[in-house]
Amino acid sequence: MKDKIEKIRENSIKEITDCKEIVTLNELKVKYLGKKGELTLVLRGMGALSPEERPIIGSLVNQVRDELESCISQKEKELEKKELLEKLKNENIDVTEPSKKVELGSLHPITQIIDEVKEIFLGMGYEIADGPEVEKAIYNFDKLNTPPDHPARDIQDTFYITDDIVLRSQTSPVQARVMEQQKPPIKIICPGAVYRSDSVDATHSPVFHQIEGLVVDKNVTMTDLKGTLEMFAKKCLGENTRIRFRPHHFPFTEPSAEADVSCFVCGGKGCKVCKQEGWIELLGCGMVHPNVLKNCGIDPEIYSGFAFGFGVERIAMAKFGIEDMRLLFENDVRFLKQF
Amino acid sequence: MKASIEWLKEYSDIDVTPEELGEILTMSGSKVEEIEQKGNDIKNVVVGKILEIEEHPDSDHLIITKVDVGTEKLQIVTGASNVNVGDIIPIAKDGSELPGGVKIKKGKLRGVDSCGMMCSIGELGLELTDYPGQIENGIMILDKSLENKIGENIVDVLNLREDVIEFEITPNRPDCLSIEGLGRETAVSLGKKFKNPRKNIEQKIEDKKEIEGLKVDIEAPDLCYRYIARVVKNVKIGASPEWMVKRLKACGMRSINNIVDITNYVMLEMGQPMHAFDIESIAGKHITVRCAKKGEKIITLDEVERELNENNLVIADDKKAVAIAGVMGGLNSEIEKDTKTVVFESAVFYGGSVRKTAKQVGLRTESSSRFEKGLSPENALRAVNRAVELVELLGAGQKVEGKIDVYPTKQKINKIPFKPEKINALLGTKLTKEEMVKILEELEIKIENNLAIIPYFRMDLESIADLAEEIARFYGYDKLEATLMKAETTIGLRNKEQKIIDRIKETLVNCGLSEIYTYGFVSIEDLKKSNISEELIKTAIMIQNPLSDDYKLMRPTTVPSMMQILANNVNKKNQEVKLFDISRNYKNIDNQVEKGEVPLQEEILTIGMYGKEIDFYVLKGMLENVLETIGVNRYDIVKEKENESYHPGRCANLKVGIDIIATMGEIHPEVLLHYGIGRRAYLAEVNVTKLVKYAKQNKKYTEVPKFPAVERDIAIVVPEEVEVGEIEKIIIKKGKKLLEKVQLFDIYRDSKIGENKKSVAYSLSFRDKSRTLKDEEIDATMHTIVAELEKTLGAEMRK
Repeated sequence: MKDKIEKIRENSIKEITDCKEIVTLNELKVKYLGKKGELTLVLRGMGALSPEERPIIGSLVNQVRDELESCISQKEKELEKKELLEKLKNENIDVTEPSKKVELGSLHPITQIIDEVKEIFLGMGYEIADGPEVEKAIYNFDKLNTPPDHPARDIQDTFYITDDIVLRSQTSPVQARVMEQQKPPIKIICPGAVYRSDSVDATHSPVFHQIEGLVVDKNVTMTDLKGTLEMFAKKCLGENTRIRFRPHHFPFTEPSAEADVSCFVCGGKGCKVCKQEGWIELLGCGMVHPNVLKNCGIDPEIYSGFAFGFGVERIAMAKFGIEDMRLLFENDVRFLKQF
Repeated sequence: MKASIEWLKEYSDIDVTPEELGEILTMSGSKVEEIEQKGNDIKNVVVGKILEIEEHPDSDHLIITKVDVGTEKLQIVTGASNVNVGDIIPIAKDGSELPGGVKIKKGKLRGVDSCGMMCSIGELGLELTDYPGQIENGIMILDKSLENKIGENIVDVLNLREDVIEFEITPNRPDCLSIEGLGRETAVSLGKKFKNPRKNIEQKIEDKKEIEGLKVDIEAPDLCYRYIARVVKNVKIGASPEWMVKRLKACGMRSINNIVDITNYVMLEMGQPMHAFDIESIAGKHITVRCAKKGEKIITLDEVERELNENNLVIADDKKAVAIAGVMGGLNSEIEKDTKTVVFESAVFYGGSVRKTAKQVGLRTESSSRFEKGLSPENALRAVNRAVELVELLGAGQKVEGKIDVYPTKQKINKIPFKPEKINALLGTKLTKEEMVKILEELEIKIENNLAIIPYFRMDLESIADLAEEIARFYGYDKLEATLMKAETTIGLRNKEQKIIDRIKETLVNCGLSEIYTYGFVSIEDLKKSNISEELIKTAIMIQNPLSDDYKLMRPTTVPSMMQILANNVNKKNQEVKLFDISRNYKNIDNQVEKGEVPLQEEILTIGMYGKEIDFYVLKGMLENVLETIGVNRYDIVKEKENESYHPGRCANLKVGIDIIATMGEIHPEVLLHYGIGRRAYLAEVNVTKLVKYAKQNKKYTEVPKFPAVERDIAIVVPEEVEVGEIEKIIIKKGKKLLEKVQLFDIYRDSKIGENKKSVAYSLSFRDKSRTLKDEEIDATMHTIVAELEKTLGAEMRK
């Protein structure tokens, strides 16, 4: 009996060790350990043994059985691992083949500049205001200290619908409307399309975009204006940007200034964009003219304010290196996709 | 305004370079446009004398010369034919430079050494008109008297050196359209004393009613604030002295004769335009300042006949207009060679009127561009007295004592309350009162009893804000600190519409669309090309003064703008084009514009696309994405057959509530043809202004279901004209609350099904969130759904 068991052990272990596939291994499992397996049959045949032999043989069989089971389980793991490696090997791909990406569109460069500016001023507590493009002359001119005989009202510069209705030549009428409707503190920026009677060429367009800002409150000073614009210039054009105020004249501000920024292309050394000057004329600004405050129902004895405004296209062109303004309105998809 | 530094030095010491001066004046408000340094571009050109001339052995048009240039004798070969032995000429020596960056080096001409070049007028950058007797195509022959200057620099000999700065003067500062005004700015900017060389002019002149028989009347005192006439007699018309010609030229004016030059010189010097008449040409010796008669004609000094109307102010004698006031004189009263008695006019007209007249007759002159900004009547007297002084200085005539001075509206002297604390508050500075007073006094603004007394030449200063600007300018804009406001906290937030527009843009970019920007202008033709309805065209707003016929109207719809951009892309051979734009339409409804009201302007999202993968359903899907992203869940898509911009079988309106929010579809083949687009293309217009009302910003969580759904498939055959939307509506209605989802998964057409029929298959999903559904309840529901489909749509179940 003992010999028989030993033989089964020897054979089965050999077979298990030599086994190369999971299927064969399962067959071996059945062959030796199954209900009709060789080892099971041995147990069943124990009845023929003497009572003395029974525990000895029984324990031997169990010992062999444990050994086989552990042997099979070990083999199983080995084969599974092998199979997986095989599978992974067959699933190799060429990672340099083209991707299946979802095609993205793009925001127009004008929007991108406007968004950038909006974000900076939203962060400083400004609201975004908007108003009509086909606007009353009274908001576009009169309330902004530009009386009827003023040169800025010339038909050569402004598009007229009627004597009283114009295409706004600036976004400032939005400021006048907000000042009329809202009590200080007022902190707004107004981005939008404006219209001027300029023929289309590389640097001019009858439609372009402006962003204006307005602050009205108690104790607003010109140094606050400078600080605000300096902060804006640094955030929008780079932390090393410097700002320079030059006296200028606008009907709706007094004192007025033009603000130059150190060229954000060359850093002020002089290049094509800044015409070798190191400075780029960025915007017009100033303290809101007392007449404008009065016209809009705000007492200039109590409140003061500042305003500034600039053209979006010029900044977009300088920032993105676009040399011809017409490209912005031609909308060739090969142009648009670059942004 | 151009100013020569030499002239400015009469008003202020200048101890900085022209570049430095330009920088300093720019920073105090007189912005430099250009600095012109004449004479600097001519280097190493000297006076020479021709000693010998011989023929060139190998050329019949070249000659070989020997030229004395002082330090040496040079051999120079030239093709010039106007030179002779003994001529004094300008010689560009080896290594010299001429205007335009031309460099002269020695070389060989047909084998003969040439050590320089003789120069013509043009090569020296000079003008023929300034050097009478010289020729254009030949060497400049200098005066024999310059023989003692041989070897000297031509720039010094001909006095060519001149530094001129051109300033951009803002419209509020007509006083700076003069050397005097710029001289004052220069002195204060440099911290020098303003020399005021014209101080002695302000003398009292006796007023007369009549001088040499001349009388003056102003008929339009609202347009003419002052008219002064002074007379000079025994006039000798001739050339002006060189210093005057040179100054005029530096400022961009040509010399004409001594009397006309004096008027121009005074205008440049003091900013007051002047006019000179020959007294003999004034009929009745009576000057009247009046409005022109309608259709009245005058030939101006430029020999062009101008037609005037009653809005134009003229200077007239008893018979005719002799000048357009403030714009230009008439040919009929011009100073002639034999003029003996001259009337100088120094007047001030209302700027608005001069500007309009100048525009109307198409003549913007040095004179009108000064008047239109509003000039000081007080300065007019100084100017005319200066003109008379110059006549005597030049020996051009003899002054007649007295003046005729009609001065109906005396210039008001502005007095502004001077509040230093208010100025500091506005500027954010901490200047002392004394510092402020010092700046103001340098600008000739006197402080008396806390009032700032404004000098006659600064009519632009009216309020404390103006004083603040003056103080800031000379304190230095660059010295202003950069501070941030200390004020009440404000919250910067985008409003609902702004947020929604941003989300829409984001969604469309994620769908692969690129944003475009278009003009709001269209023409009637553009609208017709896009098959826009007559009714809509009627609401278009007409521009009175359009740039061109293409830009006559403000668009009542964005369709033509998008069509044009699609066409542009087709022309550029772009194959896949997906675009969007959010901008406005402009509609004149109920004659708002005529009533002086702002017309309707709505934000419109326009989508335009063409390409291989694109069809109606791609477009529809994008719009549905947009609606989903802004929380609009309930909407109907309804077929639209009447909109002629679209294919009648492939167009739909999107309705939310009672509003039609959008129209979408394939573009009508006719419209495509009009735009030369040879392929199917798609268009959608979404009224964002209306859509915003329906957008929901707050999203709420609903529990993810715990109990399983029951899935049922259903396939029915319906007539072709039945829209799947109708089927879905019935399923949803009859499926009631338990129906969670209806998904169309197949549409199938086959002859076996029948002519004009289609099979439509849906997957339905039922669920109760609180329990597991039983098959039987769903069977019953399915049964009612099928029964209703059969009844209303004539559907047959497919087994």
